Amino acid sequence: MLDQLARQIEALLVATDSPVTLSRICELTGCGTESAEQAVLRIEAELLSGGHSIVVARLAGGYRIVTDPDLGFIVGQLFEGKRHSRLSRASLETLAVIAYRQPTTRAQIEAVRGVNSDSAMRTLLERDLIKIAGRQETPGRPLLYGTTSRFLEYFGLSDLEHLPRMDEMENLLKLSAEDIERMASELSGEESDQITQE
Amino acid sequence: MSADNQRACRIDIEDFEGPLDLLLFLIRRDELDVTTIHLADVADQYLEYIRDAEDLNLDIAGEYLVMAATLTRMKSRLLLPVERALMEETEDPMETLMRHLVLYKAFKEVASELRESESVWRDVFAPPGERERYEESILDADSGQTSLLDLLLALENLTEKNAPPPRHTIHKPLISLTECVQILDKLLPVNATRDFSDAVGENADEAVVVSFYVAILELVKRGWLTAEQSYPFADITMKRKEERWGMNA
Repeated sequence: MLDQLARQIEALLVATDSPVTLSRICELTGCGTESAEQAVLRIEAELLSGGHSIVVARLAGGYRIVTDPDLGFIVGQLFEGKRHSRLSRASLETLAVIAYRQPTTRAQIEAVRGVNSDSAMRTLLERDLIKIAGRQETPGRPLLYGTTSRFLEYFGLSDLEHLPRMDEMENLLKLSAEDIERMASELSGEESDQITQE
Repeated sequence: MSADNQRACRIDIEDFEGPLDLLLFLIRRDELDVTTIHLADVADQYLEYIRDAEDLNLDIAGEYLVMAATLTRMKSRLLLPVERALMEETEDPMETLMRHLVLYKAFKEVASELRESESVWRDVFAPPGERERYEESILDADSGQTSLLDLLLALENLTEKNAPPPRHTIHKPLISLTECVQILDKLLPVNATRDFSDAVGENADEAVVVSFYVAILELVKRGWLTAEQSYPFADITMKRKEERWGMNA
């Protein structure tokens, strides 16, 4: 049996349409951070011991209750024909570059991938996985792109720090920052309106 | 690896996400480490691959050809001892390419990890929440709430929904307006008359005819020329009014 606080939090995690952050939970239930965290653990334990089909997911900086991925084959039938197709390799690569280098420009993305990435970026924008995150204050003021919280949810990430191989990629990007800038400005030299530097 | 073998294990160029991906494939096929490969070998294989693909009349994206050119240039530099001294001053393009490959490879690997996460999380379903009931109406968006992207998507929906992809052939302009005016200037002394067909010449290209026509409209507008036509589709007779044509006026 769940206690009152855990029941309240469980209700929030079921009814929400996007992950609820810990601070929001505290705000709504009037409890402290630590007791909220403990209560979430109690919910998880209860769901597990009862053999329930739902689990607490840590997504996009918050929590929400979702169905167990093992049951995807059953639940998926409800949405037959409405589900998005899997992302193409081009889209995944493009998304990876944006995720680790955000905010970044189209020229930088294309410099890293070595190919035109227009259609991949269009797909990602349409599917709300990336967004325009402003303009770079360099000549041509190219658009900057970043990932959305939908991106985190889509890949089951709690935050950007939990991207795969974060440390390794950060080091690699630090080493190649200059290369990317140079390749990007060579690329945008052809387009003349996107000269990039940081 | 012999040429026969290569043909036997040829893979469709469509399977690659660009020239870097193809290079990585060629390197990995020979079980080489990205950092220790021999440029000349990889370049040869890459070029052969591109040539094969061309022989099959495959449509090869420009990026592949750019890489082919880059590799050829690098290879030729290796063969020229004179250039060595120069190469040491500037950055070694080979090393830059290697770093680029390492970077691209890392992103490629991350992308495949993301693919795995995608597979798992596609099978996860969350209650839809009370989004529908409490979400503000889209129509009530205040100014400033609509992003450029929203507008572009809306426009795209309108224009692209049913229409076939637009085709457009771009022709190099054959003759500029200024050139037309200069030619007319020479052809037409003051108060002289001349027929349009005569000025344009026989068998003139459509684009040339249009350019001349626009030039004449402009000159008529400025009152430097009169144009008459006795009946619809008849030849146009032009008469020069103004002695000096200053197009910058």
